[in-house]
Amino acid sequence: MPRSLFAKVWDEHVVEELAGGNALIFVDLVVAHEITTPPGAIAIEKQFDDRLYAPERIVAMIDHVAPAKDAATALQAHVVRTWAKRQGIRFHDIGDNGICHVLVPERGYVAPGMTVACGDSHTCTLGAFGAFALGIGTTAQAGAMLAGCLVLQRPKVMNVELAGTLAPDATAKDLVLTVIKTIGFKGGTGYVLEFTGSAVRALSMEQRMTLCNMAIEAGATSGIVAADATTAAFLAATPGNPTGWKALQADPGAHYDAHVVIDASAVRPVISWGINPGENAPIDGVVPLDAPAESLSYMGLEPGQPMTSIAIDQAFIGSCTNSRIGDLRLAAEVLRGRKVRVPTIITPGSQLVRRQAEREGLHDIFQDAGALWTHSSCGPCLGMSMGVLAAGTRCVSSSNRNFPGRMGDGGRVHLAAPAVVAASAVLGRLAAPAEIVALEAVPA
Amino acid sequence: MIVEGAVLAIPRANIDTDQIIPAHYLTRIDEAGMGEHLFEGLPEGGRYLSDHPDATILVTRENFGCGSSREHAAWALKDRGFRAVIAPSFARIFHENAYNNGVVPIILPAQTVESLLGARRIAIDVANETLSADGGAPIAFALDPLRKQFVLGGGFLGYLAAKIPQVRAWEAARG
Repeated sequence: MPRSLFAKVWDEHVVEELAGGNALIFVDLVVAHEITTPPGAIAIEKQFDDRLYAPERIVAMIDHVAPAKDAATALQAHVVRTWAKRQGIRFHDIGDNGICHVLVPERGYVAPGMTVACGDSHTCTLGAFGAFALGIGTTAQAGAMLAGCLVLQRPKVMNVELAGTLAPDATAKDLVLTVIKTIGFKGGTGYVLEFTGSAVRALSMEQRMTLCNMAIEAGATSGIVAADATTAAFLAATPGNPTGWKALQADPGAHYDAHVVIDASAVRPVISWGINPGENAPIDGVVPLDAPAESLSYMGLEPGQPMTSIAIDQAFIGSCTNSRIGDLRLAAEVLRGRKVRVPTIITPGSQLVRRQAEREGLHDIFQDAGALWTHSSCGPCLGMSMGVLAAGTRCVSSSNRNFPGRMGDGGRVHLAAPAVVAASAVLGRLAAPAEIVALEAVPA
Repeated sequence: MIVEGAVLAIPRANIDTDQIIPAHYLTRIDEAGMGEHLFEGLPEGGRYLSDHPDATILVTRENFGCGSSREHAAWALKDRGFRAVIAPSFARIFHENAYNNGVVPIILPAQTVESLLGARRIAIDVANETLSADGGAPIAFALDPLRKQFVLGGGFLGYLAAKIPQVRAWEAARG
């Protein structure tokens, strides 16, 4: 039977077929960060004599809270730091670190055809490279570090065909928010989303990462994009410069368990209005008339309310979804020569991204606009540090989750692309970049 | 293995792991004490728990445990004494984490779950995959046959440790 790309990667990693549709899947790379790794590392130390399957198949870093914000997070970092040193594991400490899903590809640790696992749900980001990359729990990560493999139910595969050409003002963020709205916020559960079609081929690697990053927000096990010349060029420019990989492709007429076609040329810039990422609408649209009461109540919105009438209290550009250099360039284009009206936090996805942004002078543009330019961290995306929201306040964010309380108890989150966040920061309400240009053209 | 206990019913869908335990409690290097903060991110979560302080079986709606991969969600349930969660569907990562921590994730049709939301006590025969609410007729369910063994027998890590020689042989053959 002609096979999907995912099926090929899966089949190449099956160590043993197990009962109940499960399989023992070999893991080529385990990514380990300070929040979810310590209990597993300590369990292996205590119960299995500290023996790892292959330390060289692990890369570790401090990413969520960098540097530590208190004694507890300092201990988490200390445990990972000492463990990595003791085990000879590649380790990226503060100063040389980044959000794992940004750092791993930029260093060239991931290559097409690999399997990658990490105790972090957004590991699906790395599917952009034609790898099978997935988030797992701490115990499963410990298992992968101990025995080199995972126990997984074989996922079904959904061909998500993104046809046509994305409009110039639409981005991968708008594309993936539209995918989630189309298949539903749990519509991907049990599936890997195999992204195909002309709109996917046209995306840069950074944009493919944004697309795959939010596969989990449809409940999917992962997203995956076939490697091509764009992938090869990106990887060749990384310090790791991985070689020897094969660009696996789906066979013509490959079997898929589901198939959805989305016309990318019809995708408009969108912002979320509700309490899951599928609840989003075009920026020039309105909060839907049939929006669930629970979502409206939490978000403090009325049905039919124009999206651009929603005033904000804070703006955040960062997170594993949209914090790469291309994202920062788009935000800078909007912020150049303008001022923000609300507190605006801009957090690069890695220290390498930060240094590149500074070489290009983006940090000056941001700070001249009145934004706070920080070092790399997961920051307020998960309500952990560096910009957590107060109850009832509203933030437009380039991150990935708008669940109740995600960025702080009672805080309200609107998800959008970086340029849209920047435009909203300038106007103090939800806004598209084009709107600023139009407003400025009107004589005072 | 029989799991019997009082029911906590939370008639909400899509309870994500940030709601089960907010991120600012993810700062420990062990699992201890997570139960104290269970459902702190859920509107009225504390009230649910204070109304049913002895509950050990959670009945809830679809897509339970979506979002973040944090195993802290399963740890918090376990630490608070929960032994099983009954729902029409679970998010994948939580589903795996629950098995790995002996919190039995039981999937039943939505209509059946709706009827169980009103139950006071439920008895679950894990080995035979049946349950009974308030002494009623047995209801059959299906567990993952492999992961069920992680609950009934030795733990997940012990199972995987025994596979190491086989994995090494596979890797050597792969070249």
